[in-house]
Amino acid sequence: MSERDVTGLLFTADMYGVQLDQLAAWLGTSEAGARAIVARWRQQGDAEMTRLGPGRPWVWLTRGGLAACGLPYQPVAPALPRLAHLRAVTAVRMALESTASYPAAGAHWRSERRLRARAGRRVPVREHLPDGEVHWPDGGPHPAVGWAGECWAIEAELTRKTIRRTAAIMTEILTRTGDYGCPAAEVRVPGQPPRHARVLYVCSAAARPVVLRARTTLGASLAGRVEVRRLPAGAGLAAGEGAVRAAPAPSGRGPAPAAEAGP
Amino acid sequence: MIGRYAGLLALRRVIRLAGRLLRGTALAALLLLALPVTLVGGYAATLAWFRGWPPRQLYRAAAWCLPMVAAWLAALAAAGQPWPQVVAAPYFAWLAMWHEVRAGRYLLAAVTVGPAAIPLGLLAGGLAWAWRIYSLETGSGGLTPSAPAAFDRRQWRHQARTARARIAAPGSVPLLLHNGSIVAGATIRAIRHPARPMAVIPYPRVRSHQVVIGTTGTGKTTLLLRLWAGFLRRGLQLHAAGAGHRPLLVVVDCKGGADSRRIADRARRVLRAAGAAATAIWPDEASLSLWALPPDQLTSTLVDMIEHGTGAAAYYQDVLEEVVRLAVAAPGGPPASAADFLGRLDAGWLTMAYAGTLGEVGLLPAAARQVSDVALRFRTLLRRLGGGLDGPGGFGDADAWYCILEGTAEITVAEAQARALVDLLAWYATRGPDGRREILLAVDEFSAVSRRLPIWQLYERARSLGLAVQVSAQSWQGLAADDDERYRVASTADGGIWLLRTPYPEPVAALAGTRRVVDTTRRLLAAPVWAHEGLSRAGGTPVVDGEIIRGLAVGQAAYIYRGGVTYVQVKRLVAGPAELPRPAGPASGPALTRLVGRIAGDAAGDVAGGDAVGAGVGGAGVGGDVGGAAGGAVVLDAAAIPGVRPHARVLPDVSPVLDEAFGPEDR
Repeated sequence: MSERDVTGLLFTADMYGVQLDQLAAWLGTSEAGARAIVARWRQQGDAEMTRLGPGRPWVWLTRGGLAACGLPYQPVAPALPRLAHLRAVTAVRMALESTASYPAAGAHWRSERRLRARAGRRVPVREHLPDGEVHWPDGGPHPAVGWAGECWAIEAELTRKTIRRTAAIMTEILTRTGDYGCPAAEVRVPGQPPRHARVLYVCSAAARPVVLRARTTLGASLAGRVEVRRLPAGAGLAAGEGAVRAAPAPSGRGPAPAAEAGP
Repeated sequence: MIGRYAGLLALRRVIRLAGRLLRGTALAALLLLALPVTLVGGYAATLAWFRGWPPRQLYRAAAWCLPMVAAWLAALAAAGQPWPQVVAAPYFAWLAMWHEVRAGRYLLAAVTVGPAAIPLGLLAGGLAWAWRIYSLETGSGGLTPSAPAAFDRRQWRHQARTARARIAAPGSVPLLLHNGSIVAGATIRAIRHPARPMAVIPYPRVRSHQVVIGTTGTGKTTLLLRLWAGFLRRGLQLHAAGAGHRPLLVVVDCKGGADSRRIADRARRVLRAAGAAATAIWPDEASLSLWALPPDQLTSTLVDMIEHGTGAAAYYQDVLEEVVRLAVAAPGGPPASAADFLGRLDAGWLTMAYAGTLGEVGLLPAAARQVSDVALRFRTLLRRLGGGLDGPGGFGDADAWYCILEGTAEITVAEAQARALVDLLAWYATRGPDGRREILLAVDEFSAVSRRLPIWQLYERARSLGLAVQVSAQSWQGLAADDDERYRVASTADGGIWLLRTPYPEPVAALAGTRRVVDTTRRLLAAPVWAHEGLSRAGGTPVVDGEIIRGLAVGQAAYIYRGGVTYVQVKRLVAGPAELPRPAGPASGPALTRLVGRIAGDAAGDVAGGDAVGAGVGGAGVGGDVGGAAGGAVVLDAAAIPGVRPHARVLPDVSPVLDEAFGPEDR
């Protein structure tokens, strides 16, 4: 199994499932090439591929594939109601990873699936998990970016929630001090720095006004830590055909740190 | 003849006794036959007595049982029972119950008859409890004529105990209901108001004038904090939904001293939990700029702040006003600070400023001799006022302002400050730079500083400006200077009047009016036996009982509105601990910006660990429509602010990487 296979499997596992065009873009190959890679995974019993909705077929990892990656996730196919959201989150991740700063700073993506697995049963039913976290490591002699050391929460917003709910989610994310899955007493500890330096909302045109409005209700200290951007091209489920932004070669990436692998 | 008459009397008594026995036996038989209903009804009525519930509560419980009855009947119908049998199901259940009892299967008997007996029992218990209340209220029930009073006192104790228990349960009393009404606490008793478990105040009433009267230590501050928090939270909700302007709460505490500062600290914490992005405490931590007023208004405010007499002194007042007008309306523009203004109160400066202005120059020689006197008076006044009104800052900088006036220690200074604050707020309400706001002005013991601005004038002015005014005082006498003003204030409180324990509640209680009651006299048979015979007549009794008001415990309040009263056990709002930042004198210049940033930062900092980061306050205003960080770095001059935690820092601008990933953002 090549390095590209390993990173592709980890990427697919972390995102719950990906569409073939996105996987191809992420692996830096054509769709035909990606299809051949996935066919090999299926032959080994590591992945499944089928057409679940509009656009390209979806790829996800089987129990064997997850076990091979050492990931404690439940082997389930992407849920139909979440397909659009999963595609949008993947598009956001790929857009961020395509920037020059990302590999230069050694940043890494911590997916919602990983957060949920780490939290296990300690995630209360009503607690909100971000769609991902981006960690910008620090400690190097010459940090590549000014925001080294920060952890960003990522939210992909396709549909309009209420302003109140959106503002509550923003506040919850920005005031959290503990990692997901930490003891309840450590979730918000006065005197500790917040876990997320900022939250990045990447919104559809429909959801954007609500997010902007919710930000204005927060007050200056929190509102200043909310970044709002538009979804990148190709993030839509129906518009996925051939519109995926090209990503750099997978050699620029690697699997998440070993310490992140388990809950 | 006498013997026959005595015999007839005895016979009549025997017949009556027999009739009573018959009635009693029939009633006992009925109660026994309907034993399940009797048991449930007895239990329900006893519970209602013990908890002080109104009968309506039992009726409501009976109504909530109807789905159970419907489900039971539907199950019978689904099991194939013909319709006549379904209709007669309660009767068959009753028969079956007795069979089960005879067989010794008591639990099964209870289950069999339960669906029919429980709602009927609750209904019967409610009716019995209503009759008991009615008979005692009208004086026709009870063993002695004093029984109704004793019953009322006992019921008050039960109702108060139930209300205390209700608010003691964690999470049982939210600040707002789903419809946005503000929950003040648990209802103890309601007269001519809906008897709900929770005492609820619709938001529009908080947006109207209200009066709060209660002596020290009765829970007045707790009540006020709850109303303020409710106002802010609901106002922010409406603003977020696009259904209202952003709320602004301005509290003017005219007592001053350490006590006011403790309350200010508590208010800040409570309001922060209610959603206020920033609470400014004036003049300790934040300042306002008197010089932001337009020149005409500034002139009249400055003149009104100076104490002046009448009669011969009127001439001097005219001169003073003219000199102030010349200084403020000088061709170079109005003064920007106290120092600037004092610098203008100089005959030479005025002459130079108005050189070439023919009309004004003619006035100057006449006023020249008085200018130095005027300057002296203003120098003294502005020195005593301190920097609280010398800016920078405005009401738009925070969601809530807690203004402390030293009305006890320095009454003349406090009077001048009160005048200036009201003028500033009036100007802000009409022509403020932030557009319209939903403003609630809460004044505590304002009569102490209202010599220059009578409180009824404040009331009328606020009404014309669309402000809501909430006047609180420790007593009826503290409400205003004289009875005319007091009645004017109290009778125009269209948002309601709150009465806490106070020794003289009668004037306010009288405003609630009277209600019709039935009063029954009882015939005394022989001491101490009273007959159940007498005369009833309708009369009037005050809706608000002054004795109850005088005996209210801490945290209990009476809410008077539209001829009705609700007695409330107020739920105390608990906020997280936070220190009152060190008073460092009035903030000035960029310090205010930093200060407000710190206050706002605390909102997140105390919860999230103090990454106190304030957005560009100067551009957007704290809590206002902040444009976010897309336009550049989020800035906070943390190092310049005392008390900011060491890890507070400046967030770098991440626009380049976001632009690269998602394309440039519209600015």
